[in-house]
Amino acid sequence: MTTSRVIINNFLRFFILIAIQVLILNNIYLGGFINPYLYVYFILLIPYEVPGALLLTLSFITGAGVDIFTNTLGLHTSACLAMGYARPQIIKMISSGPDSLIGDSPSLKNQGLKWFLYYSLSLILIHHFVLFFLEAFRFTEFFITFLRVALSSLFTLLLVMISEYLLYPKEK
Amino acid sequence: MRNLFVFIRKNYFILLFLVLEAISLGLFFNFNEFQNTAVYDLTSTFTGSINRTFRNISEYLSLRSTNQTLVEELAKLHSQLPKAYYASDAHSFYRNDTIYQLQYRYISAKVISNTTNRRNNFLMISKGTLQGVRNHMGVIIGNRIVGQVVSVSPHFSWIISMLNKDSKVSGKFKKNNQLVNVEWGGGSYRYGSIKEIPKHVEMKKGDTIISSGNSDIFPEGVLIGTISDFTVATDENFNYGTILFSTDFNSLGYVEIVVDLMRKEKEDLKATFKSE
Repeated sequence: MTTSRVIINNFLRFFILIAIQVLILNNIYLGGFINPYLYVYFILLIPYEVPGALLLTLSFITGAGVDIFTNTLGLHTSACLAMGYARPQIIKMISSGPDSLIGDSPSLKNQGLKWFLYYSLSLILIHHFVLFFLEAFRFTEFFITFLRVALSSLFTLLLVMISEYLLYPKEK
Repeated sequence: MRNLFVFIRKNYFILLFLVLEAISLGLFFNFNEFQNTAVYDLTSTFTGSINRTFRNISEYLSLRSTNQTLVEELAKLHSQLPKAYYASDAHSFYRNDTIYQLQYRYISAKVISNTTNRRNNFLMISKGTLQGVRNHMGVIIGNRIVGQVVSVSPHFSWIISMLNKDSKVSGKFKKNNQLVNVEWGGGSYRYGSIKEIPKHVEMKKGDTIISSGNSDIFPEGVLIGTISDFTVATDENFNYGTILFSTDFNSLGYVEIVVDLMRKEKEDLKATFKSE
């Protein structure tokens, strides 16, 4: 894929995911606990080659985009930044070497189920952990917040996996 | 100096991260006080119109329940008309304005955004200063509690929902007027918690809690909920319990803003006492 194609793809993905998040997913909750944040999928799919500074800037913009709509300035931004910061480390940790990364950006198709599950789950957990604890900002509600982090992360992960299977199906 | 540049070059990733994180945390802690409206005004014109468009569409989906609420409300109002009473004496419905002076007026408004799934929930409604909404007015729906206005722009108002860690409502038992505090501890939007129930109050499941009218925000007697569970604490001075909210916060289509016409009088009275 050419560079301009990659940029356009990511650009569109950014707007579509934020629109889905603020218009649909923010109105969804299950049992008062589970709240999916699919927009992090954008940060998960940023190409490997993107330099660190740009990665952080993109994370910042993604979080700020959601924050403006939910009137929680700085909340999603902080969570996204933590996620963007952790991303290179996580990739380094779970990959056997730079040669093992196939293709432009992380994907289930190229890296296999196990790699992608580890990758998404750890980053989603980091994001949700920062998000929910910053939002509650009380340690007296530690366990209930922790439960929200765990359940919401699983739900977000489920949505990410579904999107990954639907949008980038395995070639036969 | 050169060493500094080398250091920055080497560690720019973590440094940039720290700088950006500091900026966003700064924003979070400075602009999320619900009283602070500067940023809200800046962004609400844009996001408000998008939310409103989407809400206009989704409104169709909840027409049935909105109708239900309106019909119930209409039936209640009809039952208060003189016609609804058996007219044993034509003169018995004479209304003396010097005895019954109007104290509360209600402004109805459409909800254009609402959440129940966060720890701190807010609503945005489609009426603002131009329609007479002012800060700190109470918000109800069909005599059930919703929240309080915390910020107003000309066309919109921002309401702190009962489902917020900063919401604390003064309530009382309907049966014996004992005062309690009602809060929301997170989790399910159906249930809140009651703190500081005096030891001597005997309660049972299903007891009704209404607003006390002490706060100047809600009129007395607005329904908050019914007790669904309670604990008798042996080693503390107060008991506590769980309350099932009467309001279904997740299906709010329209709300009413309570305008207390005598509020200024009450506040002036308090002010004169303070200044002396």
